[in-house]
Amino acid sequence: MTTKPAHVLVVDDHPTNRLKMSMAVQNLGHAARAVEDGRQALALLRLERHDLVLLDLLMPELDGYQVLQAMKQDAELRNIPVIVISSVDEMDSVVKAIELGAEDYLPKTFDPVLLRARVNACLEKKRLRDLEVEYLAQVAELTRAAAAVEAEDFDPGSLDLATLGTRGDELGVLARVFERMAREIYARQAHLKKRVIELEVQIDEARQERQVRRITGTTYFQDLRGRAGQFRETLQSDEADRSAAVPSNGRRSIG
Amino acid sequence: MSKIISIHSFRGGTGKSNITANLAMLFAQDGQRVGVIDTDIQSPGIHVLFGLDGGDIKRSLNDFLWGRCAIADAAHDVTPTGDGTVAGRIHLIPSSIQTDEIVNVLREGYDISLLTNGFRNLIEALELDVLLIDTHPGLNEETLFSIAISHALAIVMRPDQQDYEGTGVTMEVARSLHVPRIVLVVNKMPPSFDAADVKKTFEETYNCGPAHVLLHSDEMMTLASRGLFVLEYRDHPVTEALRSLAKTLQG
Repeated sequence: MTTKPAHVLVVDDHPTNRLKMSMAVQNLGHAARAVEDGRQALALLRLERHDLVLLDLLMPELDGYQVLQAMKQDAELRNIPVIVISSVDEMDSVVKAIELGAEDYLPKTFDPVLLRARVNACLEKKRLRDLEVEYLAQVAELTRAAAAVEAEDFDPGSLDLATLGTRGDELGVLARVFERMAREIYARQAHLKKRVIELEVQIDEARQERQVRRITGTTYFQDLRGRAGQFRETLQSDEADRSAAVPSNGRRSIG
Repeated sequence: MSKIISIHSFRGGTGKSNITANLAMLFAQDGQRVGVIDTDIQSPGIHVLFGLDGGDIKRSLNDFLWGRCAIADAAHDVTPTGDGTVAGRIHLIPSSIQTDEIVNVLREGYDISLLTNGFRNLIEALELDVLLIDTHPGLNEETLFSIAISHALAIVMRPDQQDYEGTGVTMEVARSLHVPRIVLVVNKMPPSFDAADVKKTFEETYNCGPAHVLLHSDEMMTLASRGLFVLEYRDHPVTEALRSLAKTLQG
C-alpha cells in the first residue's frame, strides 16, 4: 500500500463529476488536478508528473478511448495507470478500454471504498513499475560504463553515483566497486599515457656503423661468408641426394 | 627442403629461448619434424621450457663438441605427449648445465667447424624439416656462424634503449652475411603502446620487412618458463602473434 501522496489527474467533461472525483481523491490523501477534455488531459500529462489518471470515456472532441490510445503510443505516458470511470457500463466498452491500456474500470456512481481499493492497487503497481524502470536504467548505465572501460573510453565522472552508488542493494554494491575499479584503471592508463607519449628510438648511427665495420671487416667474417654460402649449397645437395634416395614407399633412408 | 632458423638477440633477457621453444611447438603442431639446438653453452636454459630436468639430460651438445658422441645421440625427444594436436616431433639437443662443462667451454672454447657437419648430420639423422638454433646473445664467432648458415633469422629485441643500437648492428651484419630472410621481433611490448605505431617505427628505423610485435603478457610472466605458452594459452593474442611469426620465418 502506498503512503506517499500521489498526483491524480481527473478527466471528465461534467463539472459536477470532476468535483466529486477530485474530492474523493483528496479524501484518500492524494492531490487532484481536474481537466474537462482529452486534449487538456494529454497536454497536462506531458507537462506535469502524474501518478494516476481517472478518465471519463465519453467526452466531446477527444474521448477516453483516444486518450488511452495516445498515452499508449507515448513512451513518457504509457506507464501511467488509468482507471476509466464512465456511465457506460457495457462490457464491450470496458473490454475496449482495458485493451487500449486501462488498468481498471469503475462506474460513475462509484463506491468510495472500491475507489480507494482500486486507486491504491494502481498506485502500488506504478510504484513497483517505477522501481523496475529505474533499476533497469541503472543496470543499463553500469553496462554502458563497463563497455566504455573495455573500449578504454571511460570517463569516471560520467557514472551517476549520486543515484546508483547510494542504492542499498546488490546493484549499489556493484556500482560502488565498479566505480572504484574503473577509477584505478583510468588513473593507471592516464599515468602511463603521460609517461609514454611516443616511442622514441635513438640510435647513434655513426657508432653503429663503426661497430658493424669492426665485425664485417675481419678476415674471419669474410671467410665465414664464403663458408656459409658453401654450407647452404651442401645442405641443398644433401636434400637432393635424399630425395633421389627415397624409395617408392615415400620413406627416406637414414644414412 | 630442411630449413635452419636462428633466433638471436643482441642482449640477454629478450625472451629469445621462450620464443624458440614456442615456435618449435607451433611447427610440430603443423606436422613438422623439428630440431632445437641450444647453442647458448654459457647459460643454457631452453630445456626447462620443454620440461626436461637437468638430471634427465643424458648427452648434450657439449658431449658432441668434445667428441664423446654423435650429435644425434644428444637429441632428446621432448614432444609433448597426451596432446592430440601435435602431429610432428620436437628433438632437443640441450647444452649441459653442469658447471664444470660450462667452465671447460669458456676456458677451452671449441671448434666451430664441428657444428657445420653436426647440423648436417642432425638434419639427416632425424629427418628434420626445421632446425631451430637458440643462440647465445651478442655477436661472437659462434653466433655469427649460426646466423651465417641460417635460411632465416629472427632478431629478438625489447623496446628498450639498451637494445636499439645492438639490434641495428645485428641487422646490418646479418644483411652482410646474405641471410635470405631476416625478421625483426619486438618482444615484451607494453600494451600502452599502439602496436601498429610500434611496428611502423621499428620497420622504418631498421629499414626491414614487416616486424612482429609481441605484447607483454602477464600470463607469460606467470607461466615463468614452466611450460610452453602456445599449449597453455592456445587462443591468446600472443599465441596468434607467434603463429604469424612462425609462418613468416618458414616463408
